[in-house]
Amino acid sequence: MSQDTTNSDTTTLGWDPTDPHGINPHDDDHHGHFVADYRMQVTILAILLAFTVVTVGFYNLEQWVEVSFGILLPKWVNIAGVMSIAVVKAVLVGAFFMQLKYDKVLNTFVILFCLFCVALFLGFAMIDLDDRGLVDPMKAGEIQAGGTGVGLNAAPADPRFAVDLAPKINTGGKSLVQYARLNGNKLHPGLNAYRDNPDMDEADFWSEFYGSHATHRDELDESNYFESLGFAHHDAVSTANASHPRHGITPGLFSDVDPAEGHSAGGEHATESHDDGH
Amino acid sequence: MTMMTDTDTTNIPARILQSPKHWRNRPFAHHWRTGDEEFDAAKLGMWLFLSTEILLFAGIFCGYAIFRLLYPEAWANGSHYLDWRFGAANTAVLLVSSWTAANSVRLAQLDKQFWFKINIVITIICAALFLFIKLKFEYLAKLPAGKAPGTFFSYPFAHDPHEPLWWSLYYIGTGLHAFHVIVGAILFAVVLWRAFRYQSYGPTQYTLVENSALYWHIVDVIWIFLFPLLYLIH
Repeated sequence: MSQDTTNSDTTTLGWDPTDPHGINPHDDDHHGHFVADYRMQVTILAILLAFTVVTVGFYNLEQWVEVSFGILLPKWVNIAGVMSIAVVKAVLVGAFFMQLKYDKVLNTFVILFCLFCVALFLGFAMIDLDDRGLVDPMKAGEIQAGGTGVGLNAAPADPRFAVDLAPKINTGGKSLVQYARLNGNKLHPGLNAYRDNPDMDEADFWSEFYGSHATHRDELDESNYFESLGFAHHDAVSTANASHPRHGITPGLFSDVDPAEGHSAGGEHATESHDDGH
Repeated sequence: MTMMTDTDTTNIPARILQSPKHWRNRPFAHHWRTGDEEFDAAKLGMWLFLSTEILLFAGIFCGYAIFRLLYPEAWANGSHYLDWRFGAANTAVLLVSSWTAANSVRLAQLDKQFWFKINIVITIICAALFLFIKLKFEYLAKLPAGKAPGTFFSYPFAHDPHEPLWWSLYYIGTGLHAFHVIVGAILFAVVLWRAFRYQSYGPTQYTLVENSALYWHIVDVIWIFLFPLLYLIH
């Protein structure tokens, strides 16, 4: 850095030792600071917004390909596609808006090290998840009951720890979803009527459901264009690997409150999702 | 380089110009050799803090990844409850605010006080808009329907028994992010107040502006990752 040498005492030092605050009115601090260019910043903003459009477009393109060609894309396509675009956007923000490109390299290494730690964190968690199936058979003989001997619902050791933030629910062994379904909801009176009235039709339940549930608007074929071409939705695709939602009541879900339900659900299972516009 | 000393100060009232908190009167601390070194050290400290913020959200992303791999049905269902258009709107709002934050740093460096304050104001307005969209159109549309985190979950029409997990991760991820947006907005509000009251920020003293902008960019980057992971699963 070039230093202003008007003060002859400081020809060897970079600062003025006689000034306790080191203010030198001729000292130009700009040598160390990069001032960004306005047009560069606007360009980067435009690129970022364009990438946002690309991300959303990629998602809609995937949906369109699945609906119109009947190809069921593997799950990783979605993750890899949107994540790579997100990484590019993050790099652009980091390099240009946060000025990592123009800074000391140390700042970049700090963040790269952090990302390395994140990669370790997620990497080992994923490796563990992947290989759980391998561990259980190996250890089957050695598994012993663990724990502290105190049940989850036991009273806390000290009454000061008995703070209850969330409602304590005893679902009686059901899942939270089953429990919510059985207990209804203030906004869905149709559900309670269905539960309480054995004569009520399942169609009424589903009309209540579709009245309030977010439908798959991405997949709507309103003018039946694809249907007219012979591409019925989801028909030709094997659902063996699918991660798309399946509609209809799980057989046996209500059979403990409605024993007759177990019979009718089995018969309707084959046509569960194809006559409701999906 | 004459940007600093030749700025026209005739229009600045004496009360501000002579205040010890005016940027021209604010020296760097005596234990630093130059103001540059002080600034660089503060910036490095901020980057170290931002690393911890990234690690904070990495925990949430790890939980997301594990449960997405274990329960892909619940994740696909959950993503379908969300409207990607609100997410995209929030993304655009945050990107624009990121730009105005970066621009405000540039303007402080050039001692363009009026436009500097305007950009800070726009950044804060974008933060408020982000929070408004999130609260009004997303949270307040979902919570009364029973789509709530943890044991507060009471939505009766869920398909998959693991959907409450999705909702917990959604609320924790976006809620923690919204908290960070609030913190960033408060930082910028402090900058704005000091800029109006003391004109504290200028070419040689803009550390808080720079660090607030860095914090804001990290908040933006985290949303850039949250948006596709939450809204764009099919």
